[in-house]
Amino acid sequence: MNILKVFAMIFALILSSANLVKCEELNIYSHRQPFLINPFLEEFTKKTGITTNVIYSTKGLAQRLRSEGKNSPADVVLTVDIGRLYIYQDMDLLSVISSKKLSENIPEHLKSLDNTWFGLSKRARIIVTSKDRVEVGAISRIEDLADPRWKGKICTRPGSHVYSRALMSSMIAAHGLEEAEKWATGLVSNLARRPQGNDRAQVKAIYEGQCDIAIINNYYFGKLKYSDKEDQRTWARSLNLVFPNQGETDRGAHVNISGGGVAKYSKNKDSAIKLLEFLTDEFAQNLYGEINFEYPVNPKVEATSELQSWGSFKEDKLPILTIAKLSREAQKIIDRVGW
Amino acid sequence: MWLNLRTLDFWQATVLLLSILIFCPLVSLILMSFGDSEGLWEHLLDTVLIKYVKNTLFLMIGVSFFSLLFGVLSAWILTNYKFRFSKILEVLMLLPLACPAYLVAYAYTDFFEYAGPVQGLIRDLMGWEIASDYIFPEIRSLGGAIFVLSSVLYPYIYLLSRTAFRETPNSYYEVAQLYNKNIFWIVSLPLARPAIVAGLALVCMEVVSDFGTVEYFALETLTLGIFNVWIGMNNINAAAQISTFTFIFILMLLLVEIRSRAGKRFNDTSSRQTYKKAKDITGIEASFCIVGCLIPVSLGFFIPIMILLSNAFSSLNFHNYYEVAKIFTNTLLVSLFGALCIMVVSIVIACTAYFSGKRYLRIIANFSASGYAFPGTMLAIGILVFIGLVDKALGLLGGTNSNFYLNGTIFMLIFAYIVKFQAVGYGAILSGLTKTSPNLIWASRSLGMSFQKTISRITIPLIKKSIVAGGVLAFVDIMKELPITLLLRPFNFETLATFTYQFAHDELMGKASVPALLIIFVGLIPVLFLNRVLRSNI
Repeated sequence: MNILKVFAMIFALILSSANLVKCEELNIYSHRQPFLINPFLEEFTKKTGITTNVIYSTKGLAQRLRSEGKNSPADVVLTVDIGRLYIYQDMDLLSVISSKKLSENIPEHLKSLDNTWFGLSKRARIIVTSKDRVEVGAISRIEDLADPRWKGKICTRPGSHVYSRALMSSMIAAHGLEEAEKWATGLVSNLARRPQGNDRAQVKAIYEGQCDIAIINNYYFGKLKYSDKEDQRTWARSLNLVFPNQGETDRGAHVNISGGGVAKYSKNKDSAIKLLEFLTDEFAQNLYGEINFEYPVNPKVEATSELQSWGSFKEDKLPILTIAKLSREAQKIIDRVGW
Repeated sequence: MWLNLRTLDFWQATVLLLSILIFCPLVSLILMSFGDSEGLWEHLLDTVLIKYVKNTLFLMIGVSFFSLLFGVLSAWILTNYKFRFSKILEVLMLLPLACPAYLVAYAYTDFFEYAGPVQGLIRDLMGWEIASDYIFPEIRSLGGAIFVLSSVLYPYIYLLSRTAFRETPNSYYEVAQLYNKNIFWIVSLPLARPAIVAGLALVCMEVVSDFGTVEYFALETLTLGIFNVWIGMNNINAAAQISTFTFIFILMLLLVEIRSRAGKRFNDTSSRQTYKKAKDITGIEASFCIVGCLIPVSLGFFIPIMILLSNAFSSLNFHNYYEVAKIFTNTLLVSLFGALCIMVVSIVIACTAYFSGKRYLRIIANFSASGYAFPGTMLAIGILVFIGLVDKALGLLGGTNSNFYLNGTIFMLIFAYIVKFQAVGYGAILSGLTKTSPNLIWASRSLGMSFQKTISRITIPLIKKSIVAGGVLAFVDIMKELPITLLLRPFNFETLATFTYQFAHDELMGKASVPALLIIFVGLIPVLFLNRVLRSNI
């Protein structure tokens, strides 16, 4: 039958265009966009000769890994945000690995206790203020954002976004549920507009005069400062950066991580560990800063000079796992206060 | 007995099995919703659920209203009147089909925001300086979402209602005119009802399952709620419950409609098939018609395209064009293959179930076409669970060293497309079938033709247009599809949609614009082809 022939032909074409995956290659499930991780992987291949295959998705990769079970081709999982990493641990999808190098390169509070997942880079949640309309030093703590003085001045992305939720968790960890909810209520009543857009959009809103203060991840500032669009560079120039909670006795700025682990049923555990080790070594740690303005986790590596020029800061040393564990309570508060 | 399997012939048994197979991923989602939701409903009811439901309902009502207005009105104008540019407009009306809603949302946000060209122009003209000097409706809002979604979704209604208007026998109009009745309200609209409703059902399901647009506009609908519960509270059971709840709601709406038209027939049994000729108009009348048609197509196609083009040119974009070309071919092949599969499955299921005379077979067939109402990511999870079970079973059959599994293969992806877009093919064919006379089938059968031959020699040629329409819609839908492809694809497998997403996700519109434009241009080819087929007299 004609139609059968057509079917067979198209299908053969699809199969021939899809690269078949070979076993000795390293297969990666990534929550990070390909254009951000490819430079790392290219260098890794150059150094070790191990080639990599990637599937990128923002959601559901943990469910995929679980449903594949022992047949899963995945070797390495790479994510952004601790919440997503924790889901893999929670579903028991990661191998316990022992690597001296990883233990040395990553501080205690940025990895799991059972050696299943590891922080690979840090990003700080910072406050940005309008150069023209907010005095330097007027805001120094995240807690200040609930001060009625800033009524109608603050912009943020929706509370249900992972970054906002993680910040909420850190507030619960620092002050307990009740106080944290009070803070969130105060923050919401200070908002200049309905929470919307990503962190880039908040900066734009400050530039446009819709609000004076916003909470963003530090790397967005770098991305805007070096954007290929002139208008975005202008937005960045209208800002002052505030690393919050820097006082002598204060806890430091809330940080989140991008991280990774080795899949439980990986057939290439050695290569998988090699990749994680490579990502915590000096070269890759610098690359995180150069490509995406993120801070190194490795204490032996200094932040890039660009990042240093924004000022040094003290980070909240709260074990990052606590952030993930408080996620549900954080979401509940967010739902209640309507952030 | 109600369900006597022994009375099934080969085709009916096939349809039963196929429908069940397609319905299985939905069953696994529904089963998942029986899992422990850890008391989250109480919290949801107390806080956000009412907001979710309200926003979803308003969004659905708003989008239905405007896409009906755009779609039915332009279809009516273009079937009944002939004027300058009417032939071109016929094609143009379909173009928004090629535009993914979330990309249009991204484009419009830049365009209508405070710093965008529209507000900038207004400020310059009026001498206003800051935001508080004037009031401008916010694009990231319920109204904005209604605006964006109806601009890109109305072609579903336009397409199906135009075909229906065109195939209404002239004799009906003549009778109405004899009695001096309004032919639009008395004849055209009631007769086109199955087609219009099929289009509207697709629109509503798209709206309910849309994630990209509502996420970008931070509009808290049920679908956004599903993800807050799943990702934020790490409870996929509660997420499955919300999506099942939404699904049942949509199903009820469809049932109400099907009930209310039960016992009515929409086909013509006479052999004299003449159709109404379009009336020539000129001058003011014609200008009104042109403007009426141009508004929706500008909103859903021309303006977003221009914004994307200017984005693409305004920043330097470095893409590896060899890679883009490969992705382009891959997208084309996968969409083509997926659409073919969907149409074959739809024809088999729809024709067999329709003529079987077995009620339960039709019900099961209808169920198999309900995947469209689930948000893509949730559906993908259902498919993962189901295929995971199949793989386990295959593993047991093949012994411990069996190396064959479906998870992560292209087969799984194609199966997922069938589950999701079966409604598109099935709906188109069903609305074609309701317009053909069953007498032709019975005549053929009583003259000794087999069922299979009757279908391939009589039914398929009669509903050719519906088949092409369904196939093209399925093709374009697969090409634009994002969440399922993103999650279920094999390694190193990109479509234009996934490639665009990695940039759009980061609001890097300059970089996203080139592949986004490619998606739209690939979509144009089948859409233009569709128009030729619909116009020809086959």
